[in-house]
Amino acid sequence: MNFTEMSFDDLMEEAYGLPGGKAKLELLEQAVRVADAAGDIDQGYEARSEIVELGSFHGYPMKALVAFSWQLGQYDKNPGRFDDYSLMWSYKWVLDRISAFAEISRVQIENLLEDMKTRFAAEGYSSRTYHYYRAKLLADFGELDASEAEWDIVQSMERDEMSDCEACEQHGLVEFLAKRNEDEKTVKAAEPILKGRMTCGEVPHVTITKVLFPLLRLGRQSEADKLQKKGYKLVKGNRDFLYHQGEHIGYLTLTDPIKALEVFEEYIASSLDHENPVDQMIFNAYSAKMFRRLAEESIRFQVKLPAGHPCEHQSGEVESLAKHFQQLALATAEKLDKRNGNAYYTTLLQQL
Amino acid sequence: MENQNRDTYRFQVNLSGMINILSNHLYSSPKVFLRELLQNGIDAITARQAYSPDGYEGKIHIEVSGTSTGATLLVEDNGIGLNEAEIHEFLAMIGQSSKRGEDFLSTNTSFIGRFGIGLLSCFMVSDDIVMVTQSAKGGPALEWRGKPDGTYTIRKLEGQYAPGTKVFLRCKEGSEAYFEEGNLQEWLFHYGALLPYPIQLVSDHTTRLINSQSPPWVKDPQLARKHQGEVLAFGKQVLGETFRDFIPLHTTSGRTGGIAFILPQAVNLNAKRNHRVYLKHMLVSEAASNILPDWAFFVKCLIWTDELQPTASREHFYENAQLEQVREELGNSIRQELMRMAEYDPDRLQSVISLHALSMKALAVEDLSFYSIIHEWLPFESTFGRKPLGELKQHPPLYFTATLDEYRQITHVASAQSMLVVNGGFIYDAELLSQLPLVDPDVETERLLPEEVSLSFTDITPQERLDYYESVRLADSVLQKFRCQVQLRRFKPEEIPVLYTLSEESAQWRILEATKEVSTDALSSVLGSLGTTLKDAAYATLYFNLNNPVIERAFHPAHQKMLPSIIEMLYCNALMMGHYPMNRQEIALLNKGIIQFIDWGLTASHVTGGDE
Repeated sequence: MNFTEMSFDDLMEEAYGLPGGKAKLELLEQAVRVADAAGDIDQGYEARSEIVELGSFHGYPMKALVAFSWQLGQYDKNPGRFDDYSLMWSYKWVLDRISAFAEISRVQIENLLEDMKTRFAAEGYSSRTYHYYRAKLLADFGELDASEAEWDIVQSMERDEMSDCEACEQHGLVEFLAKRNEDEKTVKAAEPILKGRMTCGEVPHVTITKVLFPLLRLGRQSEADKLQKKGYKLVKGNRDFLYHQGEHIGYLTLTDPIKALEVFEEYIASSLDHENPVDQMIFNAYSAKMFRRLAEESIRFQVKLPAGHPCEHQSGEVESLAKHFQQLALATAEKLDKRNGNAYYTTLLQQL
Repeated sequence: MENQNRDTYRFQVNLSGMINILSNHLYSSPKVFLRELLQNGIDAITARQAYSPDGYEGKIHIEVSGTSTGATLLVEDNGIGLNEAEIHEFLAMIGQSSKRGEDFLSTNTSFIGRFGIGLLSCFMVSDDIVMVTQSAKGGPALEWRGKPDGTYTIRKLEGQYAPGTKVFLRCKEGSEAYFEEGNLQEWLFHYGALLPYPIQLVSDHTTRLINSQSPPWVKDPQLARKHQGEVLAFGKQVLGETFRDFIPLHTTSGRTGGIAFILPQAVNLNAKRNHRVYLKHMLVSEAASNILPDWAFFVKCLIWTDELQPTASREHFYENAQLEQVREELGNSIRQELMRMAEYDPDRLQSVISLHALSMKALAVEDLSFYSIIHEWLPFESTFGRKPLGELKQHPPLYFTATLDEYRQITHVASAQSMLVVNGGFIYDAELLSQLPLVDPDVETERLLPEEVSLSFTDITPQERLDYYESVRLADSVLQKFRCQVQLRRFKPEEIPVLYTLSEESAQWRILEATKEVSTDALSSVLGSLGTTLKDAAYATLYFNLNNPVIERAFHPAHQKMLPSIIEMLYCNALMMGHYPMNRQEIALLNKGIIQFIDWGLTASHVTGGDE
């Protein structure tokens, strides 16, 4: 295959035919290089639109952020040249993941949120989406009370064309209640989703793991087990769901630790080149917990690790693996806490 | 002429609206009226078999006469027939169905209810439908005559009729094609190729049998192996493609079976999967995509089943637990066969893989045991060419790159050093290569980073180090501000003056820096923060090849004045060759450099009068 000799159109056509993943990303990045080398802004914009979507939904949020930054810059420099709606919609994807990068300060994030608010207002959209993302970001910062206040505002306002779909919003509520450790409320809020009345491309995939732990604590394990199997099928094989694959490991650690190890082995490779630090942190933290649990067993485990993994030669020592993954998770948690100005994530990891 | 036995009733639905729904929203083409009539006939035959099984043989007779708008079509079965109450019932069912919407077709599987909908579909091609029916349960023969305006009549007929149903359609204007003999033959075969009852088509000139006896391998797909030629011929007749190989499909319940024809050409990962599925012997879908696992895109299947539920359009199946199980078992038939080939018939496997490596890799990624058995035959691109993994793994440790970009950076140099590097950049490849030690513990694989190719470069001698010390130091200082270091080495091929390698972080950082220049203030500041972490880990190296005569001259102490410009130009050239984004500073460097060299060139040729 003659990658370097392919034209922009060839690259894009080939990329459109691939499922979301590294190979597709590479073709799109090459398409960007070809477009930029030719100075073709429209092509550069088109290829970057694809990178923003792929990056947002397949584990490359940094690539998405960079591509979006270029798009927004060109959008401002060339008024009327590009579609407003789809760009404004991608703004939400970018904001949705931006808090995962500890290097980005709260002021910078606030500035982006305000920028989005201004732009949405200029396009005639309501500030509901602004409050929705503010609620989400505050929860990401570990400020749950402040987040709840924003949620109240969101719920008092009318939805508009920029609102996430109803299933996604309901999921947002479930996620928030789960963070609050309100087990019964979490399960209740998830009901319309679990009964199939609200679905979309990512719901109930992401919702199911949110109710597994609450159900278990409420003594409803058989329900939780069934949901876990169903939910796992939905997130299987898609690197976008690393966070949730981690939560499946967490749940299975409590109910079926050997199965948890299988899930770990399946996703350890994709976790390594994942760009979302928070998703990696959760995956690593639950993996660490699983290895601690396995260490209690009398049998010896031989863990399958991908070639080149730093622990390749400790694949039989579950205690060392537990330490390795715990350290990785903690390092991220500490950075996030430092940025957020609290101890939310380090505490969260201790309580897993 | 008024008949005393004739009563007029009204449909309980807006019939023209119903027909409109059927033809525009539910059915993909009016020709499905043939499927519906065949289905009605089959259902009637099945019902009659249950009612009086002894010595009964079902058959369907179709007759076409006349031409253009004068054409009529007769479809006759010797099935159970209908009595008057049943006729009213099916029409009433249609009334009910409109309230329940599209789901009607999939949930209502009763013979009577389906019959009515089937008959209605005929209004797509005819304004005048007559049905003559004699119930096997007794009672008078009946004639039903329907009009598209929503009226119908029922008349009791005198005399003795054999049980069964005849439907007469008169061609409506614009529907001539649906009454044309050749089309009828083709479409009847299309829908009914697997029907277990003979279908006869009679025209003014000829009588022919549409479907031969149901082949033995429909009952037991394993028998297909013994009828290879026949199965391939059937595949060509039904699917219109010439196949060379196939895999029989079956499930443990025995209720679903089929033939997976191996596509004779390579297909894209995103190619539409159009499998042809027969439900209870009748074609329901030519475009079923969800009946096989995703990885099985190298086959086109004929599948027959009696256990799946079609969606309202009857073109796909409901995604439920049963479908999931069928899909898994059908997938398993294919997987088992491939694994058997690996063991007993490697040549056959080879020919499958030569076209369909991608499909095999998609499965191998999901299934380690499959990968383990098949891996030796899977081809990978490498600096030794495209070779099967079994051959590549003879050269341990097996180096591979994780991305196309990395492979691109090193391929020339690695080839020239006869170093084996496998390209892991295409879909599934890096994943499979990193899993290789799990299926063959004797093989070591190692991900190679571009800068590691330099390990095979020849270091310069201590004397050369001394001679070039000042020049290297100078070159290094020129590129320092671009976070790029300079190394002097000897490597093949000597035509390559420099090799630029950069870490993933460095590549990402370059993109970030370039984007900062076009983005908004708020985002540029964000990118700046992200960049600080990347920048610490970001480094690039420009290797200068002392084997290259020009480089050797450039680094000679005598040319120290020109060296900075030479270094800068080669650096910019390397960036451009690699399509790396250049920031403003680098572009300025390039412009300045070109002018500089033109100036030097003109000065030199001026002095020598254009001759060396």
